[in-house]
Amino acid sequence: MSAAALGDKAASVASPTPAGARLRIDEVSKAFLGPDGGAVEAIGSVSLDIEPGEFLAIVGPSGCGKSTLLQVIAGLMQPSGGKILLGGQDVTGEPAHMVYLFQQYSTSLLPWMTVEANVMFAFNHRLKLGKAEAVARCRAYLAMVGLADFVRHYPWQLSGGMQQRVAIARALAAEPKVLLMDEPFSSVDALTRLDLHALILDLWAAKRFTAVLVTHDVDEAIFLADRVAVLTHRPAALAEVVATKLPRPRRSIETRESPEFLALRHRLLDYLLARGKDGSHASPA
Amino acid sequence: MPHLRERAIAILAGCLVPAVALLALEIAARSGAVNPTFLPPPSAILDSLRDVVLSGKFALPLGQTLLLLFIGYGIGAFAAICLGVLMGSSRAIYNLLEPLIELLRPLPKPALLPSLILFLGLGAKMEVTIVALGCFFPVLINTLQGVRAVEPTMINTARTFGHGTVAIWRRILLPASAPYILAGMRISLGLGLILVVTAEMISGTGGLGDAILTSQRSFLVKESYAWLVILAVLGLLLTWLFTRLEQRLAFWSGPQAR
Repeated sequence: MSAAALGDKAASVASPTPAGARLRIDEVSKAFLGPDGGAVEAIGSVSLDIEPGEFLAIVGPSGCGKSTLLQVIAGLMQPSGGKILLGGQDVTGEPAHMVYLFQQYSTSLLPWMTVEANVMFAFNHRLKLGKAEAVARCRAYLAMVGLADFVRHYPWQLSGGMQQRVAIARALAAEPKVLLMDEPFSSVDALTRLDLHALILDLWAAKRFTAVLVTHDVDEAIFLADRVAVLTHRPAALAEVVATKLPRPRRSIETRESPEFLALRHRLLDYLLARGKDGSHASPA
Repeated sequence: MPHLRERAIAILAGCLVPAVALLALEIAARSGAVNPTFLPPPSAILDSLRDVVLSGKFALPLGQTLLLLFIGYGIGAFAAICLGVLMGSSRAIYNLLEPLIELLRPLPKPALLPSLILFLGLGAKMEVTIVALGCFFPVLINTLQGVRAVEPTMINTARTFGHGTVAIWRRILLPASAPYILAGMRISLGLGLILVVTAEMISGTGGLGDAILTSQRSFLVKESYAWLVILAVLGLLLTWLFTRLEQRLAFWSGPQAR
């Protein structure tokens, strides 16, 4: 893989037969019923094209509706207007090829199931594999996240970072074309977070699914993504989309110290902090 | 094994108070401090208990009480789980039924016995019905709360993997609310035992409640106390068994999992 070229949006398309699907967000808007009966606009109108196999990050000020946008994409919430297209097809309900990775691993993993049963929960209702085959598949995905020895454990017997690894293994065991990530790294400690960043990049490079990450962490967005979409304050609109153009494979320490990284970080933080002051009266979600 | 020794000491300490109490009763009854006709010495009750048990006389009343308890408990708990699940998942059904339930729930269930006797007569039907009614409410309230307390993230997780409504019920909502449902069922089991014995005393158609009352009325005071001991042991055993079951089924919700 020509790692150096992969930072570019066009180059990621050129990678050999990506497993990911093209995701199109077409003028999506979302309004909720407010406490006074009026409509509260969460998302104004957002349009985005995400290439097959691309890694896109969405950042925005706290409470700007970025998680709402991700849930609309996942079909967990209906948009008020606009539509989502996956591989050119209209998406209704929960699409079969998209998987949502939650921030709250402790409630997303089912505590009455073993780690193995949790992973099986992702695919075996569709594949209906025999016991041995299903177990082998679980173990293969758990091995990818370094937890092959923990199949018989229950999630609550593992540390936070390990639990999020199980959640990642489970998400990938469904072999999604699109992986939607809702701040999945924000509930673990700083070192574990760097570990998980490296892990998710390895898995993405191996599987080439389309990745959409919602985060409030600008460093994380730049480090992981091909492009970073910046949202405005509520109602969310697209402020700009920045291609990171950082070479791959990315390195936990060196990439974060490169002048290109720091310049991007400066620019995005500058934008978000200035916006934060404008909208400091806005209620956080 | 220091752990084993600690446990043995704890059990011995726990037995000490009942042993002292029995000894005090024995002395009180034999010395005439209390009327031994009303409260025979424990040793005499033990003799009577031995007779009741060894003669096999205990089996029929015990069996009858257990059978009626389990039928009534089963019906009440099952109906409550079904309705609780409906009320927990639908606002409309909840709003429709909540006032009626809040009216009936605090009503002391034995107060319903006279009217139940009018409809069902004395005997098993009436006894099962009162147990079912009494067991219904704690399970209902707990099921309702359990279903409502399910983390939305768990349901969304199932949805994102493409599980349908039935699978979400079976694999998420029911197991997730199981600790609540089981806690309600534990309360109901104790309540059911109270009600079955009360109903048997009024009904006079057999069972432990009937045995306690009938022997007392026949001046068989020692035997009456012997039946009481059997009832106490039954209550203890049922509680112990249910707690074991609860720990097995809801193992993941204990303090070790938090």
